Amino acid sequence: MKKTLNINIGNSIIHIEEDAYEMLTVYLNEVKQHFAKNADDFEIVTDIENRIAEMFAEILTNQQRQVINIQDVQIVTAQMGSVKDFESSEEEEEETQEYASPPHFSVKKLYRDTDQAMIAGVCSGLSHYLDVESRLVRLIAIATIFLGGSGILAYVVLWIMIPRAVTKAEKMTMRGEEANLKGFANSYLQPLVHQSRGFIAEFLDVLGNFINGTGKVIFKIIAAGIIAFGSLIILFLIVALAALLGMWDSNVYQMFPLNIINHEYITASAIAAFLVFMIPVLALVLFSIRVAFNSRPVNKSLSFGLLIIWLAGVAVTSFYVVKIGSEFKEGAEFTQVSEVKPFQTYTLNIDRTRFFTKEDSLRYSIDPGNYNGRRILTDLDHNFDAPRNIRLNIEKSENGKPSLSQYYKAMGKTFEMALKNAQNIHYDFLQHDSLLTFSPMLQFVKAGNWRGQEVELTLKVPVGTRLNISKNFSRYLDGYGYWDCDHDSNSEFTVWKMTDAGIKCEHEETENSGE
Amino acid sequence: MIAENTQTQMRKGILDYCVLLIISRGEIYASDIIAELKSARLLVVEGTLYPLLTRLKNNGLLSYNWVESTSGPPRKYYLLTEKGKSILSQLDATWQELSYAINTSKKVADNDTNDQININK
Repeated sequence: MKKTLNINIGNSIIHIEEDAYEMLTVYLNEVKQHFAKNADDFEIVTDIENRIAEMFAEILTNQQRQVINIQDVQIVTAQMGSVKDFESSEEEEEETQEYASPPHFSVKKLYRDTDQAMIAGVCSGLSHYLDVESRLVRLIAIATIFLGGSGILAYVVLWIMIPRAVTKAEKMTMRGEEANLKGFANSYLQPLVHQSRGFIAEFLDVLGNFINGTGKVIFKIIAAGIIAFGSLIILFLIVALAALLGMWDSNVYQMFPLNIINHEYITASAIAAFLVFMIPVLALVLFSIRVAFNSRPVNKSLSFGLLIIWLAGVAVTSFYVVKIGSEFKEGAEFTQVSEVKPFQTYTLNIDRTRFFTKEDSLRYSIDPGNYNGRRILTDLDHNFDAPRNIRLNIEKSENGKPSLSQYYKAMGKTFEMALKNAQNIHYDFLQHDSLLTFSPMLQFVKAGNWRGQEVELTLKVPVGTRLNISKNFSRYLDGYGYWDCDHDSNSEFTVWKMTDAGIKCEHEETENSGE
Repeated sequence: MIAENTQTQMRKGILDYCVLLIISRGEIYASDIIAELKSARLLVVEGTLYPLLTRLKNNGLLSYNWVESTSGPPRKYYLLTEKGKSILSQLDATWQELSYAINTSKKVADNDTNDQININK
């Protein structure tokens, strides 16, 4: 069985066997190149093609056949004469030109050599073109992969751009052999590769071969990596679970999301979350073990068991997510206004000390008699992720008296719960003469979870009051352009002044009036 | 080499003349020209004829008509133009001169050899 092609030569359709077609193509290319110097090349070649078509038609009718084979092509081209025969009859006119034109066939072309390919034949094609060993080209190619992966990109680009050597003539030009009939006869016996089918199809083919061959090794390496890494993750999860169960005291200073989970849910939710994360990793590890060691598939009942446990974990986790989420349903807030003793100039500062309530004292087993109400310095910088939901507004006082309003806000399942949560907030504010000291964070009177608690402070001062605001305040002051006022980097304070239009940076104020 | 060159040049010169002679007998298809030339033992391969015909045609010696063919594509049938006819008559005259030259040369040569034979005798 042989593959045949339909060709249109001299306006007639001829069935031709593939090898015969290639031989004919080589012949016609030679003829075309021979007459390319001639002004009437097109007409001459057309005449020759027409004649060849006619001879084919005669052969087919005379011998009652359907297909032109390689012998027919040989007979026809012999009758037509080779380029050498043409040359001898035209020798005298072309003698001068013959030597001027460069030898046509020794020109190499860059093709991909899919016969000797590792992936798509780019490297071996290059090696033919550059006349170096393909191993060397491949080594360089692999080395460039480590140059930021540029080698891979270059490879794909070359793969798309460089045509693949499909026909024998192309393969011969790729190797720099003469693509004439003689060379053709030499490579006549080489097997034909299948027809080119476009980049995507070829890519899939190559990928398939790759997965079967070289890829298997790489997959095993990847699988081994997953096994090692996955086992590490599982170990880490187990340690994390133990640590959480052992050390997690549900309080508001924990990191999100730990700070919103109620104390009584800890055990169940931690185990559920552990299962949700651990089981997929475990499944991945089991699968990788199978890939890496070609072992039997994972026991069906085991995999079903894992699936059910995982689903249960997901169910429990979502139950708690919804339950805790519902505690954010209602919001409540209340305001507490305290008077501030009037001064011409106030100094606002942040104080990172902590006020110990009676309950705190009890909790830490400190003798309440000695410590109640004392300020104890704590360094809370390390967990500043904890709710720092404090904002300070500075406004003009309408009645000419300074005051401080504290809005306490919180969320809860019901309004009562929300209000209770808001009432649980404790915020330290102290006036010591003209020094106003604010706490950097809110505290809870009773231990609790984070339920969106925040404190909004509004300081009202009469027009004309000057304020020295500590630089530590910058992050609590929204929308005052604090940094624009920060002119003196040595000073710990920036100076502001209350005007009819709200507070203004003293610095700007003087600048404006100076103009 | 010299012998080969002279042979090719002689053939080439005669080939144009013969082709014109064949076509002068009436409209004719290229492959029939080839058949005629082959019977005259002149042409080796067909491929040589097509450039020749094209060259003669472009020089205005030939023209052709497309004629429908029963098998395959339409064929080019060549015929002589007026210019071709006048050139052919010139060539005829030249050929007469050439053949006279050759015949005469040959006779002289024959005579010479005869003379030499006579002397030797």
